[in-house]
Amino acid sequence: MSRNLHLSDLNPTLDRRSFLKACTMAAAALGLSSEMVPQIVEAAASPQRPPVVWLHFQECTGCTEALLRASHPDIGRLILDIISLDYHETVMAAAGRQAETCLHDTITKYDGKFVCVVEGAIPTKDGGIYCKIGGRTALSILKEVAPKAAAIIAIGTCATYGGIQAAAPNPTGAVGVNSIIHDKPIVNISGCPPNPINFLGTVLHFLTFKRLPETDSLGRPLFAYGRKIHDHCERRAHFDEGRFVEKFGDEGHKKGYCLYKVGCKGPETYANCPAVRFNDVGVWPVSVGHGCVGCTEPNFWDTMTPFYERLPSVAIPGDRGVVSSAESAGKTILGVAAAAIGVHAAVGIGRRLGKGSSCCAKPAASTQASDDKSKE
Amino acid sequence: MLYEKKEAWSVLLRLYHWAFALSIVCLVVTGLYVHEPWTSTQLEAVRTFPMAYMRYLHFLAGFVFTAALMVRLYLLIFGNRQEKFWNAAPITPSNIVNFFKTILFYLYIGKKDHRLGHNALAFTIYVVVFLLAVCQIITGFYLLYPESVFWQGWGLKLFGTQQQARFLHHIFMWCFMLFAMIHVYLVVWNENVAPEGMISSIFSGDKFVEKS
Ligand code: HEM
Ligand code: SF4
Repeated sequence: MSRNLHLSDLNPTLDRRSFLKACTMAAAALGLSSEMVPQIVEAAASPQRPPVVWLHFQECTGCTEALLRASHPDIGRLILDIISLDYHETVMAAAGRQAETCLHDTITKYDGKFVCVVEGAIPTKDGGIYCKIGGRTALSILKEVAPKAAAIIAIGTCATYGGIQAAAPNPTGAVGVNSIIHDKPIVNISGCPPNPINFLGTVLHFLTFKRLPETDSLGRPLFAYGRKIHDHCERRAHFDEGRFVEKFGDEGHKKGYCLYKVGCKGPETYANCPAVRFNDVGVWPVSVGHGCVGCTEPNFWDTMTPFYERLPSVAIPGDRGVVSSAESAGKTILGVAAAAIGVHAAVGIGRRLGKGSSCCAKPAASTQASDDKSKE
Repeated sequence: MLYEKKEAWSVLLRLYHWAFALSIVCLVVTGLYVHEPWTSTQLEAVRTFPMAYMRYLHFLAGFVFTAALMVRLYLLIFGNRQEKFWNAAPITPSNIVNFFKTILFYLYIGKKDHRLGHNALAFTIYVVVFLLAVCQIITGFYLLYPESVFWQGWGLKLFGTQQQARFLHHIFMWCFMLFAMIHVYLVVWNENVAPEGMISSIFSGDKFVEKS
């Protein structure tokens, strides 16, 4: 792609064709029928763009980075034509006091009407001092902004479930938004980073229907997180046929076989990555030969690791720091039990040999028992 | 010494026992395959579906396993005398005595405290195994029907994400293998030290007890 083409792509003036394309894509991602497209178009084209306040807490800004690379529509169209992004630390021009005023004005002016997007986890330990913006803790900012919002969209696994900073031992007591705010509609767009189309779909759903999309038990919209990756993965045929990558770079890997044996967590992860893919490049981790790491699931840093093994390791109690695979731990326990059985049996045989007849006088009794039987 | 034949186990209990035992064997074999599909092949354009069939067998056996457990729970309440919960649970004085006597007997110290049904020690272990089976069934069905509101609700509440459920499902498997090994050993050991026909009783339903 030439540089010029790229630049024209970023041109935020909206032509009708690509605007309709964006709305149609979002409708498709939401699983709506094409009859719904006009409604979405109407909602998205409405001059009353919903004000959005975007809060950044403990995060790496990767979710914003992913959004900056969105293409249907690109970030320019999203913030200039579809929503009114009134506060977003990464992309706003204002800084310092000016920025904070902006936040304050938006939430007072649009009290109860704006959408609050949260990116990043919120530390709660020691009064939340581990993340401060403009001298205020993330916790107090969220507690001020959230009650005034119409709805909250938690974007990324940090804002939804705590993410990497909540990984054991979670030194800052980081949590996701829904552990703090309970009385607002919250939708979780999890992922590390999440697909921008899932965010946009949620926004358009909210604009069109005036409510957040239906979610699963973990608060993730079903249109995007309703299916297991493994159930619509392009390598699934290889899985069913028993064709696996044994190690990275081997023949099976070159042939694009299933990544199950090198730890792919697709069988445990919910997301639409295989269908939607990322940012027009048409790829997602598995399509480029790396197993899914389960980034849309709660606590995936703790539960989906080791990323290149099927299952987590077993921590051996009492033996600090020693971990072993579930497989070898199981084998060891069975081995110990087998040895115990061996000893038990040996003691029995030893006693019988030593005494001639055992404690239960088996030989005599058993002959009699069989005599009894034959008499019956 | 004279012995008489007495019916210990009903037909339903024996059917349960074998459905349970054989389904566990099948579940362990197919489960281990699902964990580590060792037949990994590079054959293309042949239709073998090893993984698909192994998973299918696993789910089929999973249903047999579940049905068997339900039968046993029914028998705990409505079964014959030996099969009922109160008969061997270590909650009555005589069963508590039996519990400790059995431990001593297994340690080659005491004499066998004969029971027509289960001894209290064995029964206690069976209760633990039933609880484990319930956990195995919940994790299993959660893995099988993860999109269903019911299983997703319970699975998430009790075990966490699919990966955590899967991990526990795997660990529980080793518990079943451990149980099966010890169970078979103790049955054979009992058969050797006490002439009551314990092994044949799970086929015929009859045990032999000393005539008093
Ligand atoms: C004694 C009983 C059982 C044993 C020993 C057993 C064993 C296993 C094992 C070892 C795995 C592989 C997990 C891994 O390491 O990745 C597995 C997977 C699984 N089991 Fe079981 N299981 C049992 C009962 C059940 C039951 C009752 C069900 C319910 C129908 C069930 C459903 C499943 C499912 C759905 C999977 C995941 C398969 C996949 O996603 O490919 N299991 N089981
Ligand atoms: S690559 Fe992963 S998600 Fe795809 S079929 Fe294999 S195990 Fe499933």
